Amino acid sequence: MMGGEGRTTKDERQRTNGKGRTIIENRKSKFENRNSKFEIRKSAISNQQSPIPNLPMDPILFQVLASALVEATEEMAIALKRSAYSTNIKTRHDFSCAFFDRALRTVAQASGQPVHLGSLSESVPRVVRMYGPENLGAGDGILFNDPYMGGVHLNDITLISPVYADDVLIGYVANLAHHVDVGGGAPGSIGAFREVFQEGVIVPGVKLVKQGKLDDDIFRLVLAQIRSKRETAGDFRAQVSANITGIKRIGALAERYGVDVLNTFIEELLAYTERRTRAEFYRLPHGVYRAEGVVDNDGYAGEPVQLKAQVTIDADGILFDLTGSDPQRRAPVNSTYSQTFSACAYVCKSLIDPDIPVNSGFYKLVKMIAPLGTVTNCTPPSAVVGGWETHSRLCEVILRALAEAIPGRVPAGSKGMMAQVAFGGVDPRDGEMYAYYEALAGGYGGRRSKDGPDAVQTHSQNTENAPIEESERGYPIRIPRYELVDDSDGAGKFRGGLGLRRDYHFPDHDASFSILSDRDKWGPHGLFGGRSGKKAHYILIRDGEEISLGSKTTVQLKAGDTVSFQSCGGGGYGDPLERDPQMVLNDVRDHKVSVERARDEYGVVVDTANWVVNEIETERLRASITIKSGYAAGMETRIHANHA
Amino acid sequence: MAYRLGIDIGGTFTDATLINEKTGATRIAKVSSTPGDPSVAFLRVSERILREADVPAQEVRYVVHGTTVATNAIIEGKIARTGFVTTDGFRDMLEIARQIRPSLYDLQFEKPKPLVPRYLSFGVPERLDARGSVLTELDVNAMREVAVRLRAEKVEAVAVCFLHAYLNPAHEKIAGEILTEVFPEAVVSLSSEVAPEIREYTRASTTIINVSLRPLVGRYLQNIEDRLRAAGVQAELLVMQSSGGVFTFAAASEKPVFIVESGPAAGVIAATYLGSALERKNILSFDMGGTTAKAGMVQDGSPRVTKDYEVGAAARAGHGSGKGSGYPIRTPVIDLVEIGAGGGSIAWVDSGGALRVGPHSAGADPGPVCYGKGGTEPTISDANLVLGRINPKFFLGGEIELDIAKSRQAIKEKCADKLGMDVVTAANGIIEIANAARVNALRLVSVQRGYDPREFTLIAFGGAGPLHANRIAAEMQVPTTLIPMSPGIFSALGLLVTDLKHDYATTMIRRVDALDTREIQEAFEKMSREGHAMLLREGVAENDVQFSRQVEMRYVGQSYELALALPNHELAIDEIAGLLDQFHRAHERAYGFSAPTEPTEFVNLRLTAMGKISKPELHELKNMNPDASLARKEARQVYFAEANGYVDCAIYDRYKLGAGARVQGPAVVEEFDSTVVIHPEYHADVDRYGNLLIERD
Repeated sequence: MMGGEGRTTKDERQRTNGKGRTIIENRKSKFENRNSKFEIRKSAISNQQSPIPNLPMDPILFQVLASALVEATEEMAIALKRSAYSTNIKTRHDFSCAFFDRALRTVAQASGQPVHLGSLSESVPRVVRMYGPENLGAGDGILFNDPYMGGVHLNDITLISPVYADDVLIGYVANLAHHVDVGGGAPGSIGAFREVFQEGVIVPGVKLVKQGKLDDDIFRLVLAQIRSKRETAGDFRAQVSANITGIKRIGALAERYGVDVLNTFIEELLAYTERRTRAEFYRLPHGVYRAEGVVDNDGYAGEPVQLKAQVTIDADGILFDLTGSDPQRRAPVNSTYSQTFSACAYVCKSLIDPDIPVNSGFYKLVKMIAPLGTVTNCTPPSAVVGGWETHSRLCEVILRALAEAIPGRVPAGSKGMMAQVAFGGVDPRDGEMYAYYEALAGGYGGRRSKDGPDAVQTHSQNTENAPIEESERGYPIRIPRYELVDDSDGAGKFRGGLGLRRDYHFPDHDASFSILSDRDKWGPHGLFGGRSGKKAHYILIRDGEEISLGSKTTVQLKAGDTVSFQSCGGGGYGDPLERDPQMVLNDVRDHKVSVERARDEYGVVVDTANWVVNEIETERLRASITIKSGYAAGMETRIHANHA
Repeated sequence: MAYRLGIDIGGTFTDATLINEKTGATRIAKVSSTPGDPSVAFLRVSERILREADVPAQEVRYVVHGTTVATNAIIEGKIARTGFVTTDGFRDMLEIARQIRPSLYDLQFEKPKPLVPRYLSFGVPERLDARGSVLTELDVNAMREVAVRLRAEKVEAVAVCFLHAYLNPAHEKIAGEILTEVFPEAVVSLSSEVAPEIREYTRASTTIINVSLRPLVGRYLQNIEDRLRAAGVQAELLVMQSSGGVFTFAAASEKPVFIVESGPAAGVIAATYLGSALERKNILSFDMGGTTAKAGMVQDGSPRVTKDYEVGAAARAGHGSGKGSGYPIRTPVIDLVEIGAGGGSIAWVDSGGALRVGPHSAGADPGPVCYGKGGTEPTISDANLVLGRINPKFFLGGEIELDIAKSRQAIKEKCADKLGMDVVTAANGIIEIANAARVNALRLVSVQRGYDPREFTLIAFGGAGPLHANRIAAEMQVPTTLIPMSPGIFSALGLLVTDLKHDYATTMIRRVDALDTREIQEAFEKMSREGHAMLLREGVAENDVQFSRQVEMRYVGQSYELALALPNHELAIDEIAGLLDQFHRAHERAYGFSAPTEPTEFVNLRLTAMGKISKPELHELKNMNPDASLARKEARQVYFAEANGYVDCAIYDRYKLGAGARVQGPAVVEEFDSTVVIHPEYHADVDRYGNLLIERD
């Protein structure tokens, strides 16, 4: 619950380190805080004796409806996954589902990809308003992916359908799915494009479903732009299925409880969520925190893409000011407002009680300044397909800004890139075009009391891997190798997770292969003395020769070529010399850390004949090493500075 | 006389049920479990029940065991030291797993620790392509070296899973032979034998779980067998599978991955059995005990099974958060949705002022506040007590006297005062919220799969199920709620009424428009032969062997299949059209659309070989007096929200209700191990077996 009136916040904090990179500013907000807090309490409490704000609505019905609505969106997700065709949707779960009320506020969402969820809360209201709610009848569905109308990259296509109960509009269900191909300059629609028109078909919000039926003209027009027609058609049908499911379930709730009750509930749910979120924000250390970081390059210019974040936490919520981030590029790394917003929303959500529902009551407290014309809020016709790289790195920069303020909660630098792979060509087995897409995992950052997990998705991305047997069966490729990258961890008292390697071999046909990723110049940062994770590698193996590829590129492959995708490891947390030697021993035994690195970076001497730590040698070695850790060099917030 | 003995070992108690095959008369006994050596309690309770029933050990024909030994071994990390052999380049399959985080926003998440450490995982050069053809021959020298290494590492068990081995087991077979030759002490499981299905990670995980359990489960069952034999029991010894069938101790020792959810399956099987006996083929089963509630579904007399299961996972709902927190297995498991809303679930008020129930539980110790054993947090049981639904003087037949004042105080302090409402409203709210969670669980197993609960019967059991069943059924619009006799031990009955069962699967991905029916038939025949031989070895008579066939189908391109029944003969061409029609309709029901012009394909062929065991007859009531008033023992104030408060409610003694009696709600029917609440505007009819059938007036 919220603190009492008498509780004082530490309004004035200055925690600058040696380099003065992370700055917490004075805040003259004591009275503002108190006043605004009083407002919250007054509005929330209906019973004066009550120490906890009361729900004006029957708290029992409230809880019943809260779980029923989330369940409805979960059922949408199940329908989508089970009826979809592409591996990316059916197996990797690269989609999200949500319910919005009449006023277009997010009410409930299934546990999907955080990256989508934040952006849907921005895009759905804009699209429906643009189209006009009055033009949407029961059974209609609006298809949409326009980045400049609240969308994200073109692959993420949203279907929005109104929900009616007895001719009364209750709200909207929407699902967003990452389609494996939407046309454009390369199979999978992923590549180093320079403007959005190269990226594929732009759907500005058109009525694909009319009174329950797919509009054949529009459907054919859209499919005509797309390489993997049959697969994508199946995925569109699955999206329709998801909305049908949501409409049925929510319609039944409205029928059961009445539209008025449902509407009252929604108001209450949003107020309740806002109340709890505010209480959580109030508990976070108020202040202003800053960090910077970079995307390695934009795919064309070698110059890194600068990102800046200033995070202000006070009783009114959290404000993310991204002013100072680089101007947009004629390159794929531009993030739309929605993409950027979802990064901020993700970080906020990860800092508060996970039990708090995610809806507009939460989103409205996430405030963001992203100056127009920068890589954080680009204007047309900027390319946006790699906007997720900027988005991912923003998550890292924001977390980095908060690392000292919220000690123990923030991990060291993690994968923090989307690590996307897409390829396609003509399948020699049937002569048809195919397109393949997936996003790979990497190392997670070390935490205060535990290692960063190996090979895992990070931050707003949580898509599964594609099973090798399914990929080799469905596509004319072979995967010769899928394994952890040894020694890719950032050393630390708690080490970063290992990156992973996946090789793609094209035995019998030429193909186009795209990488949209990052981190091949600098690995994720360490924290509090931890080392940075090892950087990523993207390699073409042709006729036995290894050719280094960029992190954002499309290459034409010849039959017999192999591309090796090796993601980065996570950053370490704390001084590696303080790592428990037994943990180092286990890592050496597991071949995750080599004997040499155990000695050089962790100061641990391992006796590999008996698999024990040579304690005397270790103690002597540790005493003699003065490792110039990131901590000693000052808590660098310019992430790449750790590598300079 | 012939008897069946069911033994269910739980964390706290070991239960025995003895049934007379002829009369259907049952008897129960309970002893404390002995976690150090579970077989001690097994023998103790067996001896006790036979002694009490005065039944000689020789007259027991079957002993059926429900056990959590497999699950516990995984959760507690007590599995065998295991090695993993796979295709070169893929030894990190277990480390990488699904590459996801089990919870989206948790910066401190953990991935499940691989069951085989990386240094015991080996890649061996060999390779098949996606059609099962050999690209690279198995390097037998490398394989031999790995076997030597594993032996030197003193592993007890080895799992082998090569890529695409589900299509062609040749390399795995050679690897198995080399392992046996070089390292004869090790137990070995091959993925092509344990779970020959596409998707390497889940197949490898299934194989590893199987082999790592074999030493432990083998020793455990052998120990029980030795002791039973010494005690003069000559019966066939069987274990309950996760899928609801039983198989012999010998089979369980070979394939223990099939018994990971041995315990919870029994309740659904009991409901299936009772439903079938009463001509009720569509059932929602609702099993509520002290810490959890479980919802299952039976359709057309068969319980629903799932193959999307993770052992040791955080959530059991099969979707949403929690995925990736356990170890997947691809063997059939009865599809249960489990929620943490049992009688001991704690009610609390969150920081936003909402009343919440669970997921924390007071468990058995200290238990609900009313037990007076030091519990301070109000629970569902406390709320039921305050509402008058539980009799404070007749809990477990009066074994424990409940303290209602303590319950009131706890609900007042922890919930009512914070919400600004009175104690009774809060208590009712606790029940309503818990019921809503259970309704969601039941919806997950029915509506979400496209089934209309109005066509089902709700069978409620477990100590706490009958307290809530009527209200839940009303909410679900389920027309009839059935409360069996002795609901507290109803699950154990499931152990005694199931058939011997072996499940087989073959992945055979074939387009339906180019189906070779002969090839399909041969695959089924191969599985039938295996099942047949197995059942005969288990002592099943030729006449009692039955097979059922299923095919899992999908639209070409999808990854989730729908299962359809197939006839037990080679498919005729005209039958394929009918099958397709069924598939499109099933798809329409599940997902709201079908695409009849899209190509379809077969994916997995499934065969169940069953050895029919005669079912005991249901035990009929002797009391045929339909006058319910004879069973009325008292009246008590019981709260019903629909009556806006407490009403003077009749309390009945269930044991005195005769067949044909009708109890008009509002009413409470009490028996030793459970309490049935009948709401206003509902009534309960007693059938000739003593079941209560609750319906709306």
